[in-house]
Amino acid sequence: MQSLIETLSAQFAWMQNPVVIARQALAGLSNGMLLFLIASGLSLIFGVLRIINFAHGALFMFGAFAAVTLTGLVPEGLAGFAGVLIGATAGLAVLGAAIETGLLRRIYLAPHEFQLLLTFALVFILGDAVKLIWGREDHSVSMPEILSGSTQALGVTFPTYRLFLIGAGIFIAIGLWALLHKTRWGIFVRAATMDRAMLGSLGVDTRRLFTTVFVLGAALAGLGGALAAPVVSIGPGLHVQVIIDAFVVVVIGGMGSVAGAFVAALLVGLVNAFGILAFPGLSVVLTFALMAVVLIVRPWGLFGSPE
Amino acid sequence: MSRLRAIAAAAVLVLAALPAALSDFWIFIAIEVIAFALYAVSFNVLLGYGGMLSFGHAAFFGVGAYAGALVVKKAGLAPEAAFALVPLAAMAAAAGVAAVVGFFSVRRSGIYFGMLTFAFQMLLYTIALKATGLTGGDDGITGLKPPGALARPAVYYFFAITMVAPALYVLYRLVNSPFGITLRALKANPRRVQYVGVDVRSHQLATFVISGAFAGLAGAVFALSSGNVFPAWLNWTASATPIVMAVLGGVSTFLGPALGAAVYVVLEVVISGRTEYWPLVMGTIILALVLLMPAGLTGLWRRKGTS
Repeated sequence: MQSLIETLSAQFAWMQNPVVIARQALAGLSNGMLLFLIASGLSLIFGVLRIINFAHGALFMFGAFAAVTLTGLVPEGLAGFAGVLIGATAGLAVLGAAIETGLLRRIYLAPHEFQLLLTFALVFILGDAVKLIWGREDHSVSMPEILSGSTQALGVTFPTYRLFLIGAGIFIAIGLWALLHKTRWGIFVRAATMDRAMLGSLGVDTRRLFTTVFVLGAALAGLGGALAAPVVSIGPGLHVQVIIDAFVVVVIGGMGSVAGAFVAALLVGLVNAFGILAFPGLSVVLTFALMAVVLIVRPWGLFGSPE
Repeated sequence: MSRLRAIAAAAVLVLAALPAALSDFWIFIAIEVIAFALYAVSFNVLLGYGGMLSFGHAAFFGVGAYAGALVVKKAGLAPEAAFALVPLAAMAAAAGVAAVVGFFSVRRSGIYFGMLTFAFQMLLYTIALKATGLTGGDDGITGLKPPGALARPAVYYFFAITMVAPALYVLYRLVNSPFGITLRALKANPRRVQYVGVDVRSHQLATFVISGAFAGLAGAVFALSSGNVFPAWLNWTASATPIVMAVLGGVSTFLGPALGAAVYVVLEVVISGRTEYWPLVMGTIILALVLLMPAGLTGLWRRKGTS
């Protein structure tokens, strides 16, 4: 008994250390922001197109690899870094447009299994395309000098890039919110998640709406990949884990809900960060357990609505 | 009818003569085809007959495989006794897990049902990966061997047939029974079936458990032939396999998915033997299948027959 208590108190000793808590919270939040960028697109695409895009992780991976290539082409410094982010986002937007108009558009009326197989085929194809274009080895991208140091706040030293990621995530979340709530296009998108047929019969060009939503989702994934590039190891297997985390976020947040994706992404980010401290080795199980609990208690997710 | 009998008799003869004509390698592949034929057909009972698209069916295949492997490796029984217990253990374990997963999953329909099965599969996958004491973790369970003469592929081949043929027969009788007809009615219009007085959810759950149990049997039959089990068998990328097989063969026929399984397995062997980029080739084939062959291989044959 005595030894059990000792083990447990050793296990949770970090709880008395505010520096460790702050640092893990920061890591969790910044990873959560990256997750949000993938999951929000995945969720929007599901909400409007009713397609589960298994290739979304591959789009994120393409964003990261695009950052590898672009970083070699631009001058060092903040301006070059901004160029990399813009380039990766734009590149993935183009790829997204090609995928939607060339492939997805043909199968909106097909049974679910066909849609699933199509995005799954894309996972295979894009996964190998990465190996053909960039090779099998891992790459890394250095961050601009101004973001590579550390920052003092609340008496704790934080890596600056992590703070930057959190700021960028909040900025993009606000931008997405404005896009969905303050523009005509956003009204159509939100209406489409509720009733596509009604929207179409009201005279809205749903074909174009589908394309633009998919392009936005792909662009967000590309931006996420480029932002993640300096803090992840960029290899051909990157997408397999990324898409799983994004799915967990979308399921917990509620499919089709961007606000849900935001809350759930931060939640999953934090659970991962602290799970590693509390239950080393079992943190992966923790997120799936969280998802299972949400599914059992609220099958439509935290912010979703019942069918 | 007599023509059908002649075809059946010819098929039995071909199956019986096959091991004499093939090398050990191709007998091994034939065993894989037999196991995956049961896997694909059991999956299609759910999809083609019940209209339930499971995106977590690899979980049951994997649970069955692990259950079989654990009985052989860890139950402490004599090899013959353990081996005799394998099919029962695999089916019982897969059915038990399917009962829990199904209980929560059939509460929702369509793509949401798929997401739930997907979520539970990932939970099981992480358990297989992390419960190293039981499952061997990432290394899996290796060195499985059927006792005595069964270790020879040509003998195990007949064992696989004696496992799979009755299972297919049971499934065939099932889908043509009043239960199966209700199931098909459920696919077409669940609400009307409910109005007639059928308990829709328990009907779906029963189908889910039966389908899962036979997928588990398929997993165990394959595991003892290949000699090992890995957590990757439960990963999300593995759950596309039965979908591809079913769609490739044609979801509207009973044995179509078995044909799809044969084509898929042989394709994989041939392609992966020639290029390391077999996912790229397989992805392209799936893409073509989805866009060009909506009724699968059996659909091609039928269309030719009717024209």
